[in-house]
Amino acid sequence: MKAPDQAATLAADAALFEFADYDAGEGERGGYSNYSYWKSTTKMFLAKKTSLFFLVLLGALLFFTFVQPFVPGQRSPTTIFQDPATGMQFRNVTPGAQFWFGTNSIGQDLWSRIWSGTRTSLLIGLTVGLAEMLIGIAFGAVWGYVRRLDRVMTEIYNVLDNIPTTVLLMLLAYIMRPSFKTMVFAMCAVGWLGLARFVRNQIVIIRDREYNLASRCLGTPARRIVLRNILPYLVSVIMLQTALSIPGTIGWEVFLTYIGLGLPVQIPSLGNLVNEGRMIMMSPELRYQLIFPTVITSLITISFYVLGNSFSDASDPRNHV
Amino acid sequence: MIKYAFKRLLQSLLTLFIVVSFVFLLMRLLPIEGYFGDRFQKMSPGEVEAGLQKMGLLDPWYAQLGKFYAGLAKGDLGVSFIYRRDVAVTKIIAPRIPYSMGFGLTAVAIAMISGLAMGVGMAKNKGLFPDKLGTLYIVFVHAVPLAVYLLFVQLYGSSLLGLPILFDKHRPVSWILPGISMSLNGIAFYAMWMRRYMVDELNKDYIKLARAKGLPNGAIMVKHVMRNAYVPLAQYLPAAILATIGGSIYIESLYSIPGMGGLLVDVIQRQDNSMVQALVLIFSSVGIIGLFLGDLLMALFDPRIKLVKSEGAR
Amino acid sequence: MGNETNILEVRDLVIRFSLRGRNLTAIRGASLSLAEGETLAIVGESGSGKSVLVKSFIGMLDQNGRVDAGSILFEGAELAGRKTEEDWLPIRGRKISMVFQDPMTSLNPLLKVGRQIEEVLELHRGLSGKAASLAAVEMLDRVGIIDPQRRAGQYPHEFSGGMRQRVVIAMAVACQPRILICDEPTTALDVTIQAQILGLIKALQRDFAFTTIYITHDLGVVANVADRVAVMYAGKIVETGTAEEVFYDPRHPYTWALLSSLPQLGVKGHPLYSISGTPPNLFREIKGDAFAPRNPKALKIDFEREPPMFEVSPTHRAATWLLDPRAPRLQPPEAIRALRAKYLEAEA
Repeated sequence: MKAPDQAATLAADAALFEFADYDAGEGERGGYSNYSYWKSTTKMFLAKKTSLFFLVLLGALLFFTFVQPFVPGQRSPTTIFQDPATGMQFRNVTPGAQFWFGTNSIGQDLWSRIWSGTRTSLLIGLTVGLAEMLIGIAFGAVWGYVRRLDRVMTEIYNVLDNIPTTVLLMLLAYIMRPSFKTMVFAMCAVGWLGLARFVRNQIVIIRDREYNLASRCLGTPARRIVLRNILPYLVSVIMLQTALSIPGTIGWEVFLTYIGLGLPVQIPSLGNLVNEGRMIMMSPELRYQLIFPTVITSLITISFYVLGNSFSDASDPRNHV
Repeated sequence: MIKYAFKRLLQSLLTLFIVVSFVFLLMRLLPIEGYFGDRFQKMSPGEVEAGLQKMGLLDPWYAQLGKFYAGLAKGDLGVSFIYRRDVAVTKIIAPRIPYSMGFGLTAVAIAMISGLAMGVGMAKNKGLFPDKLGTLYIVFVHAVPLAVYLLFVQLYGSSLLGLPILFDKHRPVSWILPGISMSLNGIAFYAMWMRRYMVDELNKDYIKLARAKGLPNGAIMVKHVMRNAYVPLAQYLPAAILATIGGSIYIESLYSIPGMGGLLVDVIQRQDNSMVQALVLIFSSVGIIGLFLGDLLMALFDPRIKLVKSEGAR
Repeated sequence: MGNETNILEVRDLVIRFSLRGRNLTAIRGASLSLAEGETLAIVGESGSGKSVLVKSFIGMLDQNGRVDAGSILFEGAELAGRKTEEDWLPIRGRKISMVFQDPMTSLNPLLKVGRQIEEVLELHRGLSGKAASLAAVEMLDRVGIIDPQRRAGQYPHEFSGGMRQRVVIAMAVACQPRILICDEPTTALDVTIQAQILGLIKALQRDFAFTTIYITHDLGVVANVADRVAVMYAGKIVETGTAEEVFYDPRHPYTWALLSSLPQLGVKGHPLYSISGTPPNLFREIKGDAFAPRNPKALKIDFEREPPMFEVSPTHRAATWLLDPRAPRLQPPEAIRALRAKYLEAEA
């Protein structure tokens, strides 16, 4: 080491070899803190380009679905349109300037029908999703946490689980006769099982973990333990299941409509529209009547699915490393 | 092992009994028109009542249940009222089962083989293009409703490939579309399952040790990971096979295949209660038996399972 | 020690991991020598980088880790630059073997134990069929498994933790490696079993003539088995020496702190000693001595410049400015002096 000025360096060196002031706080500062769960979750979620894309897409679709009736120049989804000149109904008009999505076989405007149908189907989906979430969590939480009821509830679960969902759904719709309320009720009745089982299994695993035992020893009431210690841990899964239940519900709706147990024909819904389209899908000129509803359905369901999965991954603390 | 099997058998029989009884009682809620069909409009309340009485539907519920099980023991599932007047349900159902199972088993085979292979390929190429492509397929099949994408298969399969739309048992080429349609969902299921399984296993300690032992990656994949995979798979297999008895409700309808699933749709649309009841019971039982067999297979292959009491919900 | 056949020479090794776009420097220039036939113990707290260091000897760093600088010379061959699987296959299991910490998860639960040992034999010694199974049974016998013939046909869950660890050891030494690395091999085991396992490794080392590296945070284990000790802190080796030198004449403030934390050195009626603070954030560049912020007796220069390795004796080195001639004379803490005093008494 070159020292241009020997004396100065020596003096400086000597100073360096004195004891430094000790600051206990400095020692603590080494850690890697700065962690906020929600900030980390949001960061991870938005980092993926696919999530952003679908978020924007879904946002736009949802926004437009509910705003559409208020946009000027919109027609009613149920009116049958007639050409004033000929008095003939505007049947099967190809998409064009007058009817953006064309018309169906009896002269109704497909554009307004599709948005109206989306509104209906989304309404069913969201209602069912919310109901499933509440029922599923409530049932699952009690089932998992209250040991005494475990046997009984497991038996109930096993019975319900063993009846194929499709069949049970069809049965309920058949018994209660098709209608909007029937649909919602039947799907709720069938859909909460999966979430309940998952919540129960998770609770069984973590209720006996040390931090929960500690809470119990301190006298924390069961309700508080479940709400504060356990449920936040389950957020990611619950959100995933709920997000995924919406495409599922729409799927059931289409299926039931095909069977003839769906909504009455007068109420436009994605199920009805898809089925109407299906009936004439073999003629290429009329195919647009199938393409539009199926594309919209696909976009909505894929968006929910992708977003649900992305959010679930992002909110899992184990991925926050 | 025998003890475990016996215990599970009893459990399954109990569940079966509860489910069947529950469904049977649920059936009592079916709309009354379903017992009479078109005649219902013209019948007077007295005639309706007499008719119900004759069919034993006004007896107390436990009596009905008893008679049902008695009949079941003899292999008698009742008689159809509307679909085929007065023909035994079993006679109507029997010829349909081979169609459903035929398609179903082929679909399961295709799905397992292609799906597992796809899953392995995806796991090996994690994050790269094949993985992304596979994920795209899986997302599509899971997100878009079955009812929707199968329509496209039928549509484009027939218009672009010239395949027949409806099933005809004399023309094998008409079997292709429905066969593929049935396996699409299964392929996605097995692919996703296998990929997740492989990724999870590859992170486990014993794999790390195998690497430290000096085993090349290829050998680890085959001798450890894939070899361990067939054990949990065994659990799904019987259920998958038995489910084929029920057939795919939607696909059989779409392609007019004379199978069990299509039958269910028909009898619901025709409102034939006794048929509906019989079919629902069959579908439910099949699931339980499948689960039971699956557990047995698991116990056979996994040396760790002995007399483990299963912790309730599956 | 001298410069004879050092079977392993590590020089200024730097290992980094990329996490979420940032770089974590897990090993910040570690240097180590391993003489043939000896037993070296690497001690340090969790997060000091002990496991990462030894994993780099067999190329088992995680996917996002890489050796950025320095060299690892094994029997004269450079290991640091090896990147692909093929490069490492001749080393793993054959020349350098490893025993992991948790015996409960180290074995494939669905394969018979004998089969898992045969796997290694087939791979590295070219045995197959009957020859392989016989050799496997013989290995089981060597590691002290009773009734090895029958045991070879059983599954891991039929073995206790201690026995599973023996099986893992059997797999590791079956091909007579030159170096055996044991990463906390007894941490997950009962105290009584610990002694047995350590004894087993010692015996095998004699019979098979390999060199052993122990990773541990348990100084009791060190005292039991080690010829030499290397103390690690925040990705660097801060002190090396024979076991006696490190225990009874430690020079680095961190080693003082570590030894002082031993409950056995506590004085009745006084609070137990523990090192205050936490290890530094390895995402950031560290200036000077990494231990300085937690050292009440740190010098100003400890915060400015990194101390080089100073020689205390041909076998004993420590990287602390306290060994610089310009530094003030500092006595080690009370507990350390007491320990030394007891040692000197015993020697006399």
